[in-house]
Amino acid sequence: MKKTIALLGQPNSGKSTLFNGLTGSHQHVGNWPGKTVEKKEGSFTYENEEYAIVDLPGTYSLSANSDEEIITRDYIADGKADLVCILADASQLERSLFMLSDFIGLNVPAVLILNLMDVAEKLGKKIDAKAIENRLGIPVIPFVAADKSYYPKLLETLKKALTEKKLISADMFETYYANETEIPFYAIKELLTDCETDFRSSSWLTIKCIENDKNILNYCKSQLTKENYAALNSLVSNIRRGNLHTGNCKFAMIHDLLKSAVNSSGLKPTLSKFDRIATSRIWGKPLAIGIMLLAFIVSMILAMPLMGIGSAIPALLCEPLYNLLSGIGVPAIITSFVSQLVPNILSFAFSMCSFVMAVTFIFSAMEEIGYMARMAFVFDSLMSKLGLQGKSICAFLMGFGCTIGGAAGTRIIDNWGQRILAIALVWSVPCAATWAVMPTLAQIFFGDSTILVLIAILLFMFIMMAITAKVFGNKLAPKETRVGMIMELPPYHKPKWGHIIRTTLSKGLDIFWRAIKVITVVSVVFWLLSYTNTGNVEDSIIYKVGIFIEPFTKLFGLSWQTFMAFVASAISKEAVLGVLSALYTGSGDVFTATFGTVGTASLSEILPQVISKPEALAFIFACTFNMPCLVALASTHRESHSLKWTVRIALYYTVMALLLSCIVYHIGLVVF
Amino acid sequence: MKLYEAKPGYTGTISSIDGDTRFLSRITSIGLTEGCKIEIMQNEKNQPVLLLGRDSLIAVNRKDCERIEVK
Repeated sequence: MKKTIALLGQPNSGKSTLFNGLTGSHQHVGNWPGKTVEKKEGSFTYENEEYAIVDLPGTYSLSANSDEEIITRDYIADGKADLVCILADASQLERSLFMLSDFIGLNVPAVLILNLMDVAEKLGKKIDAKAIENRLGIPVIPFVAADKSYYPKLLETLKKALTEKKLISADMFETYYANETEIPFYAIKELLTDCETDFRSSSWLTIKCIENDKNILNYCKSQLTKENYAALNSLVSNIRRGNLHTGNCKFAMIHDLLKSAVNSSGLKPTLSKFDRIATSRIWGKPLAIGIMLLAFIVSMILAMPLMGIGSAIPALLCEPLYNLLSGIGVPAIITSFVSQLVPNILSFAFSMCSFVMAVTFIFSAMEEIGYMARMAFVFDSLMSKLGLQGKSICAFLMGFGCTIGGAAGTRIIDNWGQRILAIALVWSVPCAATWAVMPTLAQIFFGDSTILVLIAILLFMFIMMAITAKVFGNKLAPKETRVGMIMELPPYHKPKWGHIIRTTLSKGLDIFWRAIKVITVVSVVFWLLSYTNTGNVEDSIIYKVGIFIEPFTKLFGLSWQTFMAFVASAISKEAVLGVLSALYTGSGDVFTATFGTVGTASLSEILPQVISKPEALAFIFACTFNMPCLVALASTHRESHSLKWTVRIALYYTVMALLLSCIVYHIGLVVF
Repeated sequence: MKLYEAKPGYTGTISSIDGDTRFLSRITSIGLTEGCKIEIMQNEKNQPVLLLGRDSLIAVNRKDCERIEVK
């Protein structure tokens, strides 16, 4: 049977870097059954043997205060892994060994990985891994997760550890708890001897009982006689703030463990000049926004070449493909299908994945450098009002550029529920394409008042976000799980570019295939709906459907043409003008208008004659707050790996956009 | 005094921490325990308090700072 290795570590210990480093592209991301927690599994092969690897949710301890913690704890303490890799940040070793100290007492083979050794060395810390290993009794490896050259040694150690099955020598650590006068360690331990399992020692259970861990207490209740449980209960209920006492024991243990093993040059971390500005109440936010703006520009520049290739594809391919196919006598319907569809799908996927790659690249670099944590710090109070972490601000700012980039940017949020919530909110932010199309439309109808329309859109964006946060917030980030910010700000360090580039490429490739899949399906459907063999729009299915539902869409202030353009705006915002032009002027066909680009010059003369001002305003709002685009939908699914939530969010935005259209239309009727 | 009252540059130790199990577990796991030496790095209104403890720069939001006494 395949051996399973679990990764355990606090956030920022480099767990996901190690996971990616070990598995490469052999990974599967899903959810833990019935829980809104991400499950990352993967595999790797070493010396012809395959190993399964599970990246457990990043938690600070093995308590049971959140779904993440319960999943992590149960997985480890039920012995589901053959080996546990405990990660610690070597640059802040004392603090980050807490996880190890919480693990002690579990009879599961383990390896301690001292990650970020390079950063520790920079800070003048010399760490004697051998000394720690001798004391703990399990393998201890100095490591740099982002550096490939450290992996052979790690793999060798893991293989050996899986056969030797060394456990942490727990006995010597008991004395710390026994010496703590505030807690009756042995009295409780004696009661719990019958509760031991293969993996949970009575000492470990005792510590968890002292910490008033409800799950463990319930477990003990099921194992103990009535009298013994009553005795346990009375002992435990006499302990006040048990966590603090065990915490003291754990840190005393860590302190002694490191005393002779770590040699610090005495260099005390200080706030650098940059950090003073980065975390300042006044300058922190402008700096963050400035840096994001810069990141945005750099992303655009990085994405430009690929986007260029993407947009050039239809011009380069459409005609040759058409000529080729019709030349060899392929039926007209297939020729038209292939020559229009294939280049446009490729073009779409290319342009979309380029921005995602750029954003991934920039965000990974910012995260690696350590700046992201500062951003989280200055925006904490603002974003917590939406139920989100401070760093989610990055995703929103990126959303102004491209919703797909914004959705990809939510990757930095380590809580699954909050990440979905952030994606749902990013959808409210009008993207660059929207900001390009809507002014053009508004100009046609409202002339000099265009700016008012745009301001109204911007203001409504905040309202939309507030409503969305209300609608999804309770489910995705329940009030009782929202905790104030308590986190460490990691020291700045040089990013490992190789690692970042690998991450970016694998992400880009993934979104590329995903985009192609989704766009293909939708394009085929749309193409069939709009296909006519006469070239006359009135022969298409889309026209017949449109006419049929027009009485209904009229309620929302939409004619069948504007309704079709509204539907197209969910595919891409750029499509809106093209579809309007195709439907009202009869120039070009609907399909090319949606997936390609067509001239829209005559729109400004025709539209005001056929669409009233209230209808126009309703239409502008409906399109702006409609589903952003097809690939945004695909990347939402990619980031959330939940079809249920992707569909929910999409439906919510469609309904909201129509509702909004209806409201704006009726307000418009009064105003104009 | 309460943690949020401490001025930047202040050095001292945490004398008491209060709160429910959840909070105690969280604050302990980040490395802040009673008797832990700390130095205040930054303390500005509407922002978490920034302090140095166990060799790490740690941010603690203001509301929770009310439950932490330093001396």
